[in-house]
Amino acid sequence: MRLALRELRRRPGRFAVAAVILTLIAMLLMFLGGLLDGLLGSSTGAYRAQRADLIVYSTDARTSLVRSRITPEQRRQVEGVEGVTATGGIGSVQLGGRLGDQPASRTLIPTALFGYELAPRGLPATPPASGTVIADSSLKAHDVKLGTTLLLGPQRSPVKVVGFVDDTRYSGQGTLWGSLDTWRRVLAANIPSQAVGNDVVQALAVRTSGAAPSTVGGAIDRATAGTTDTLTLTAATNALPGVSQQQSTFEQIIGVTLVIALVVVGLFFALITVERTALYGILKAIGASSWTLFAGVVAQAVVVTLFASAIAAAVALLLDALIPPGTIPFDATPSRIASSVLLLILAAVAGCAFSLRRVLRIDPAAAIGTAS
Amino acid sequence: MRRALVRFGLLVVTIGLLVFLILTQQALQDGLITAFVGGIRNQSAPVLVYSVDGQRTLQGSVIAPPLEQAVRTTPGVGATARIGQGTFTVRVNGGPEKDAAIVGSSDPTLGTPTTLTAGRRPRAAGEAVGSAVDYSVGDRVTVLASTKGAAPVTITVVGLARDIQLNVTPTLFTDLATYEASVRAANPDATAVLPNAIGVRPAPGVDAKQLAARIDAASPEADALLRQQAADEAPGVAQVRQSFQVIFLLYALVVPLVTGLFFLIITLQKANALTLLRAVGARSAVLTRALLIQVVVVIGLGLVVGIALYTPLSQAKVGSLALRFDTTAVIVWSVLLMVLGLASALVSVHRVLRIDPIEATTGAGVR
Repeated sequence: MRLALRELRRRPGRFAVAAVILTLIAMLLMFLGGLLDGLLGSSTGAYRAQRADLIVYSTDARTSLVRSRITPEQRRQVEGVEGVTATGGIGSVQLGGRLGDQPASRTLIPTALFGYELAPRGLPATPPASGTVIADSSLKAHDVKLGTTLLLGPQRSPVKVVGFVDDTRYSGQGTLWGSLDTWRRVLAANIPSQAVGNDVVQALAVRTSGAAPSTVGGAIDRATAGTTDTLTLTAATNALPGVSQQQSTFEQIIGVTLVIALVVVGLFFALITVERTALYGILKAIGASSWTLFAGVVAQAVVVTLFASAIAAAVALLLDALIPPGTIPFDATPSRIASSVLLLILAAVAGCAFSLRRVLRIDPAAAIGTAS
Repeated sequence: MRRALVRFGLLVVTIGLLVFLILTQQALQDGLITAFVGGIRNQSAPVLVYSVDGQRTLQGSVIAPPLEQAVRTTPGVGATARIGQGTFTVRVNGGPEKDAAIVGSSDPTLGTPTTLTAGRRPRAAGEAVGSAVDYSVGDRVTVLASTKGAAPVTITVVGLARDIQLNVTPTLFTDLATYEASVRAANPDATAVLPNAIGVRPAPGVDAKQLAARIDAASPEADALLRQQAADEAPGVAQVRQSFQVIFLLYALVVPLVTGLFFLIITLQKANALTLLRAVGARSAVLTRALLIQVVVVIGLGLVVGIALYTPLSQAKVGSLALRFDTTAVIVWSVLLMVLGLASALVSVHRVLRIDPIEATTGAGVR
């Protein structure tokens, strides 16, 4: 093992090309992972922030918040179900916003206005007064500050920002959180075709106790005679448009990229092993076991992979810092970088297994003969 | 190569996998963009006018009456159509509930698919042209009414068109009245159903680009876009392209690096044999040619493997996303990767050219 590490120190050039390729592959993995996290993070924040166990939609909405309508009667039925401890209406509308002093601006700030009753994480238990909102901190990149008045939609409905909350983006847009009254008023003024009646909401956030949330969800749908479709918070988050599709597509691409990393490492160290056949023969002749030699190969692969991963991680973090908000949805998280490094190391170790057979087959006598 | 099948085979498989990944992602990118905005790219209005607040999305745009009036009265406007679009829950032929994007136009010659692949154009209310990948002629699509008991709307598919989806959703193009009835069925609380865009045909002799500029000047609320521009500048399209381009760039770098590394190591391993060949009279050109032939064969086989894996996948349908075998992409990537692969072998060629035959007597070989 010591010999292998010393070779890495003394002849780093020999491993340079493999390191460059692995660096590119590590960058690809982290870029793909960061892109996935960025896309999911900017799509699902408003749901992940909910402090509820269940989300109730109307059945005909097919889990689309915009199309869902929960009537007061349905809400009463939900509240009567055993295990339901609290319910809160949710409403949303996606509109372009303008800073209050630029009502004629053609440059808009993409926003999603949410009306709420049960406070999501980071929001006050009582929604802000009518006409005021708490903004997602991502909107600060658009010069939104405490006290800023935003004019929403073609009707320029004014809402005043009275606070900020982190990580609640929705559908790639910065969210604004206000009362259901604020939401109803802004929705009806700007998109009359989506207007809702008094006390109608798009969905219900439900807190439960006692039985498992999924069991309570089933009871809710039975109590409303199947006119509601109740999902656990995780299921509702995954059911948001594009979330599960993005996740599965990216995971497949990441999987194939890992296979390529495995083959590259396997190829490189298999060839290195061929080159060192005579050397290994001599080492075996003086007492080194096959496993010691193989451990040396694995150690070299792990060190090269760690080196490549470190560069890739630095590039990923740099990209994360440099990419302007609102362009490529890229989010380099420590957990994603760590999991990419771990997967690459596993692929590298597995790739080295290609060399194991060769190391085991080396005959010291024959190898020394070849060397001489 | 025949004697070291495993060694070369591994490289062929690696390149094949990389080619497969590149082509698959190219197909995904193209399929995704077409499914997002195909309905805009392949509709008949040369100019689409959104409200600025729509941020260039058809569903997000709302055309208020003053804006509509401003568009109609702009000099150079030949004809206009009110276009509405929404996503609804539907049942096809009484089957399970599905999503459908419904586009309604007040003029059957504006804002409707340019070319049909089957059937005919709608002649009456309640008829529609459907996206060919999702519907068949004769399908009966029922737009579900809300729980308040409004009557459902039924639409009959009388024609099909290719690449007319919106937002990766099965799409129907119908008349405006049918669209409005669908909105009211789904949401009886709707206080008004305003169009989402105005489709515009320029008057004879008027340039579409100039007309778009005139419409923008006529109202601060107007965002007039040429058809292709409306498709390319829809939110998300540019980001999808940028993201995929970075991925393509990285993959395109990995292929020549893997190939270059492989042949460099092979050349180093064969140093003694190559030196001996030079010593017995083999010219550098012969050795170089042999090396380059190996590179071409390996990359060529890698391309064959990659394309063979890509071909069945390119016929697949991922959800509502139809993939397609893209001959141009296959040719462009094949040529590009071959050129990059050959370029990457130049380091090995350089090593071969540096072989000094006299070293055969000392055993030094390639340095």
